Amino acid sequence: MKKITVARLFQLLFLLAFLVLFVRTEYRGSDTISAAVNSLFRMDPLVAASYLAATRSFTWLLVPALVTVVATLLLGRFFCGWICPLGTVLDLVTGKIAKTAPIRALKGNLKYWLLLPVLVAALVRINLAGVLDPFGILVRALTFFVHPIIGDAARSGWVSLYRLLGERRDHLAPAYELLRDNLLPFRETFYPLAFISVALFGLIIFLERYESRNWCRNLCPLGTLLGLLSRYTPFKRTPAALCSDCKACRALCPTSFDEGVLKQEECILCMECQKGCRFDRVRFPLAGISRGPTPYLPERRVLLGGVVGGFFLAGSFRYRSPESQPRLLRPPGVLGEDDFLKKCVRCGECMKVCLKGALYPAVAQAGLEGIFTPVVVPRLGYCEYNCTLCGQVCPTGAIPALPVAQKKRAVIGKAVFDKNHCLPFARKTNCIVCEEHCPMQQKAIRSEKVVEIDPSGKRIELQKPYVVDELCNGCGICENVCPLEGKAGIEVFAVKERKPLAAAALTQSPGSGAAPGADPYQ
Amino acid sequence: MQRRSFLKLVGLSAFFHQWLLRDLSAAQGPVVAVAEAKDHARATRAAIAALGGMHRFVKKGDVVVVKPNIGWDRNPDQAANTNPVVVRAIVEEALAAGAKKVKVFDRSCNDERRCYVNSGMTAALKGMKNVELKFVENERFKKVALRGKALSEWELYDEALHADVFINVPVAKHHQLTKLTLGLKNVMGMMGGNRGAIHKNIDEALADVNQALKSHLVVIDATRVLTAHGPQGGNLADVKHLHKVIASTDIVAADAYATTLFGHKPEDISVTVAAHRRGLGEMNLKKVRIVKA
Repeated sequence: MKKITVARLFQLLFLLAFLVLFVRTEYRGSDTISAAVNSLFRMDPLVAASYLAATRSFTWLLVPALVTVVATLLLGRFFCGWICPLGTVLDLVTGKIAKTAPIRALKGNLKYWLLLPVLVAALVRINLAGVLDPFGILVRALTFFVHPIIGDAARSGWVSLYRLLGERRDHLAPAYELLRDNLLPFRETFYPLAFISVALFGLIIFLERYESRNWCRNLCPLGTLLGLLSRYTPFKRTPAALCSDCKACRALCPTSFDEGVLKQEECILCMECQKGCRFDRVRFPLAGISRGPTPYLPERRVLLGGVVGGFFLAGSFRYRSPESQPRLLRPPGVLGEDDFLKKCVRCGECMKVCLKGALYPAVAQAGLEGIFTPVVVPRLGYCEYNCTLCGQVCPTGAIPALPVAQKKRAVIGKAVFDKNHCLPFARKTNCIVCEEHCPMQQKAIRSEKVVEIDPSGKRIELQKPYVVDELCNGCGICENVCPLEGKAGIEVFAVKERKPLAAAALTQSPGSGAAPGADPYQ
Repeated sequence: MQRRSFLKLVGLSAFFHQWLLRDLSAAQGPVVAVAEAKDHARATRAAIAALGGMHRFVKKGDVVVVKPNIGWDRNPDQAANTNPVVVRAIVEEALAAGAKKVKVFDRSCNDERRCYVNSGMTAALKGMKNVELKFVENERFKKVALRGKALSEWELYDEALHADVFINVPVAKHHQLTKLTLGLKNVMGMMGGNRGAIHKNIDEALADVNQALKSHLVVIDATRVLTAHGPQGGNLADVKHLHKVIASTDIVAADAYATTLFGHKPEDISVTVAAHRRGLGEMNLKKVRIVKA
């Protein structure tokens, strides 16, 4: 790397901060996570804009995004050249990638054709911004692919050391535990869509073959939005065009000067031109507010097309297969599916932080509009009773940050026994592992004792379990621990009415007294 | 006296005076030490001392495994996990007796990180030298031929199998399927695989496992017990404070005694009955010497 500019220093600092926050987005011995990657999404104006458009309401969580908007209005598109970790990654690798010619098809108005329909679709209440958001792409690639692969590799290495050394491996344990507790994911969780997530990121790197910061200048919807905001910045670079005697800026500039003039909306204030200018001509003086030389949007038909496109885009993702709906379980505290989809940025943080690996990105369960949104898969992991981490790290409050007492009452779904599989019913053997694990103080799963004749003709006292709906929050531990292979004998199903359990129900037995099917705890 | 006539005499007296021999063996029967004190560390030490002290079990240079119940993401007041004060006292005793290393672990049911922290175990053992509070790692489970009545083989935890001394430290509490969970069931925490599957024949299965993985010392934490909604509880109304610690080398006798604290008889607990029938220990409390410490 050449001489370090202030911008470069900031970039590296923010990249480091981002990686630290990413790794910290995990349970590390405390019930609360003070700072997580969510701060990045909260200062993302694209996330804020699509949230506002979709929900038509504001949340204080997005105040940092307003700060970014104001700063961009003042300074220009500094965010891309100073802060964005995806941009920093591109800057770090682009030097190693030989360039061919820019792709003509990416030039022109393509980026507006991406941004406008996404925002308009949000206005029609289909919020897809997160799918193309640069942080979303980066965090998903790391969460679903890079981090699990690193974790799995480290873990396999550790296991093979055991095969090699046996108990003597214990001498190395402190080093491994240091890694495990501070860097690696605790569980080896593999995610659906891991390939797509990393492929999208890979594609952005691949585009560097054609020109530097190809994604940033030609596609990125966040960059495009920031570009629009930067039109009015009072700080304008001079000279505004290439100098006829030098033209070095064309090579120095990572984003602009395609047409010989500096495009205000593409300048990311990286200051490379200032640093590289032999004549010391480049300045960023305060020039006063003035309209840019070009019209606000390149063409009116882009605006109209974007609006119409967004409207139709929103409509085209609506299909949902009825078979997947009963098992479409959302994280705790989510009250309604529509509201959730409007707010979720699909950043994957809840899935990363989930203690028991209960959350996975939806592939098609929630329709195409719900791709990458989190769903609970109880057979793989359950919602830990005392844990509130997913709500804490959600950048937009799509999963509300609930205090632990309230989270325990939040309903994910309701457990239902399948008597054709459940052992006491189907095989007449005792089990009730589900009852044992049910975390509710008064037990949402109970059992009644019945005497039956088992298949061999013996009289047997069986404990037949049943669910008390008023107490079940659908955490899924019952389905998770059901000792049956494959399909569980008890499963959690989605419910429309996700009203929290009554507080009283948690400490007293509901329906105590005359209830039929006598409560064994009375 | 000639050997033959001696044998005749013994044989005949055994035939005619069964009660005499029974009394004789009762005198050598297992000892269960019961200590009661509000200071739970003191109660723990007193119970172990009444058995002859930790140095009876732990020799200099031994590797000791202490297996508490850390199964649930519950705090010490909720009585779902072994009292960390009891565990710490045992660990200190083992170190004082000359243990080279003391390892503490359990295969928890809830998230192990949360269980270790919330149970108070992490805080209780923090900074102790030669003590490892560690998570259970899957690769350490070894298939063991049990040739039992319910299980022909199962994966058991090798660190527990290889320990010089295995100290079983359950918390006494309610359990819906087995009525109570005590020492015999606590060993389930050393089972790998789909251990829930043994619930269909849990009495014999637990006897099978306890036959393969012997507890050299059982210390039952009854400082506070969960009387309902076990094994997790959560409601402090279900917790009863007894301030008792029970210690024995006979796991069945220890369990049998602890059963009486809940108002049950040992023969009500089918896990205890099966283990007794399989020769794992004495459940008849009349044949057990109970020492109040």
